[in-house]
Amino acid sequence: MLVIIFRRLGQSILVLFIVALISFLIFRYVGNPVDNLMGQEATLAQRAALIEALGLNDPFYKQYFNFIWKALQFDFGNSYRGALPVSELIASRLPATIELAVTSAFFALVLGVIIGIYTAINRGGYIANLILSTSLIGVSLPTFLIGVLLIWLFAVELKWLPSFGRGDVVQLGWWSTGFLTISGIKSLVLPSITLGLYQLTLIMRLTRSEMLEVMRQDYVRFAKALGLSSKQVNFNHALPNTLVPVITIAGLQLGSIVAFAIITETVFQWPGVGLLFINAVYFVDIPVMSAYLLLVGVLFVIINLIVDLLYLAIDPRLRDSNTSE
Amino acid sequence: MDDNLLEVRNISVTFKNRYGTLKALDNLSLNVKKGEILGLVGESGAGKSMTGAAILGLIDPPGHMSSGEIWYKGKCINDAHEAIRGREISMIFQDPLMSLNPLRRIGDQLLETILTHMNVTKSEAIKRARKGLEEVGIDPNRLNSYPHTFSGGMRQRVVIALALAPEPSLIIADEPTTALDVSVQAQILDLLKNLCKERGTSIILVTHDMGVIAQTTDRVGVLYAGRLAEIGDTREVLTNPKHPYTKGLVDSTPRIDANSFYKELYQISGTMPKLDAMPNGCAFHPRCEFAIDKCSKETPQVFSDRAACWLLENEAIVE
Ligand SMILES: Nc1ncnc2c1ncn2[C@@H]1O[C@H](COP(=O)(O)OP(=O)(O)O)[C@@H](O)[C@H]1O
Ligand SMILES: [Mg+2]
Repeated sequence: MLVIIFRRLGQSILVLFIVALISFLIFRYVGNPVDNLMGQEATLAQRAALIEALGLNDPFYKQYFNFIWKALQFDFGNSYRGALPVSELIASRLPATIELAVTSAFFALVLGVIIGIYTAINRGGYIANLILSTSLIGVSLPTFLIGVLLIWLFAVELKWLPSFGRGDVVQLGWWSTGFLTISGIKSLVLPSITLGLYQLTLIMRLTRSEMLEVMRQDYVRFAKALGLSSKQVNFNHALPNTLVPVITIAGLQLGSIVAFAIITETVFQWPGVGLLFINAVYFVDIPVMSAYLLLVGVLFVIINLIVDLLYLAIDPRLRDSNTSE
Repeated sequence: MDDNLLEVRNISVTFKNRYGTLKALDNLSLNVKKGEILGLVGESGAGKSMTGAAILGLIDPPGHMSSGEIWYKGKCINDAHEAIRGREISMIFQDPLMSLNPLRRIGDQLLETILTHMNVTKSEAIKRARKGLEEVGIDPNRLNSYPHTFSGGMRQRVVIALALAPEPSLIIADEPTTALDVSVQAQILDLLKNLCKERGTSIILVTHDMGVIAQTTDRVGVLYAGRLAEIGDTREVLTNPKHPYTKGLVDSTPRIDANSFYKELYQISGTMPKLDAMPNGCAFHPRCEFAIDKCSKETPQVFSDRAACWLLENEAIVE
């Protein structure tokens, strides 16, 4: 068990180095940092001094490890635009994205699993079939279109919910939360649905097909033959076995929720890191872009690691095997 | 008839597919007496598992029992399967590696079954679970182990302990040893047989192994293409088969004795028909050496409570 955990940790660290490398390559080689920082009219001597100060003459590996060393201290340099430290920019935007992502993921996971179970148990039923065909829409509509439709219906026509921004936020230390005000919660509704709908349908369909598969297994037939009630069969035997793969996929989806937040944040002008990134792309603000990529990469890796550990907690077969999967 | 624990009366199981309605079981009848072991033998696809599923009311859709009745302890249980499942009739399956929930400790699975059926306290249930394991030859201290820590034979022992825990009167064992090593097969069969004899529990033992039938069962039913070909006292049926198919099965069974070395085995020519290509009349007639005109025209009923073969129409079987 410990062996597995350590191996996973090792793999994660390796992946992080690769992510950092990509992020570094963008930081260092997309555009010319000296031009960006000094403009065209700087003298050659000034340029040389800056190049020396930034360590741009150092060998590649040294620059790379320097980049990592600074990143570990949350130092990503200054934004080209506005000259604020990138880490401060990201820290001010991160809570918005995380609250949005967590809310959508929660919504997608809970509803997805519940509806998935329902449609599996009531296979072929009228409501189950209706849900299934409706869910196809969820998978096939692009995120921005869902967002625009929701805005049109609930913000423009019905005027129930706000169409952009975070509403009022409360500052808890450096963290700003929208969970504590009514307008903050109201503002979360439409973006969360927009961001989570795709994941919801995905998780629902996955839960359903996994559960149907599990219900064909001998241990479920045996549980039935032993005279257990359908509640016991479904929830004690079929469901836990269904959840193993569902949790993996759902966990991985959390990563893509953060990544896909870019679109939703743009549609709803949600002041998170996704919007920050889009603006950074617009102004070729390389340090911000590179820091964002590193951040998303790190998030993916951490989530993966947590999913793997959850997997170990659920499945005794994995816990006992010291070798690979 | 009074000592019949179970009576399967003329059941048919049908399901629709795009080619039409298929009959997985056709007008099948058989009885199981108290305390006896009834063997069910037949090729793969003959309907052995389906018979077990029908008795327990566990036929997977789209299949369903379209006619017939199942009587248990003098009552029709067509609509009361839930009440008898586990408590009265239990079933064990072919693959012990797949029969136990991989995510739950065997003790939890035992306790769940005991607490569901027996009106006992938790501590009494634990006592019974430990005793159950002991009886099947497993260290009761392994109650907290997960299934994957047991070998196939050990898992089938756990499965037997589970099936016996609610003290049922009938166990349907669907090829319980097919997936096991030969040396383990005999142990498991003996264990099952002895435990059931002690308790007076009847067994329907599904197998395609004629050797197992000969050594383990009191009576045997031979299934062919969803129909009963022959049924009777095991010794009678194996030494004096009345149905040409049974005869073929017996003759094609390998045996080890002084005369059998390097002799070719008898083979029944052809294959069992698929459900969507059932011949008219007797399902076996295209492969039968003794077929007469009538065999391809009308489906024979079971004559003299023994065999479904037109050759027996005018012959009274004296046992
Ligand atoms: N749920 C089902 N739906 C449709 N056909 C089935 C189903 N289960 C079994 N069958 C068919 O019924 C026949 C009998 O199967 P089965 O009882 O499993 O045979 P056996 O156990 O003797 O090998 C086979 O032809 C099989 O294809
Ligand atoms: Mg079978």
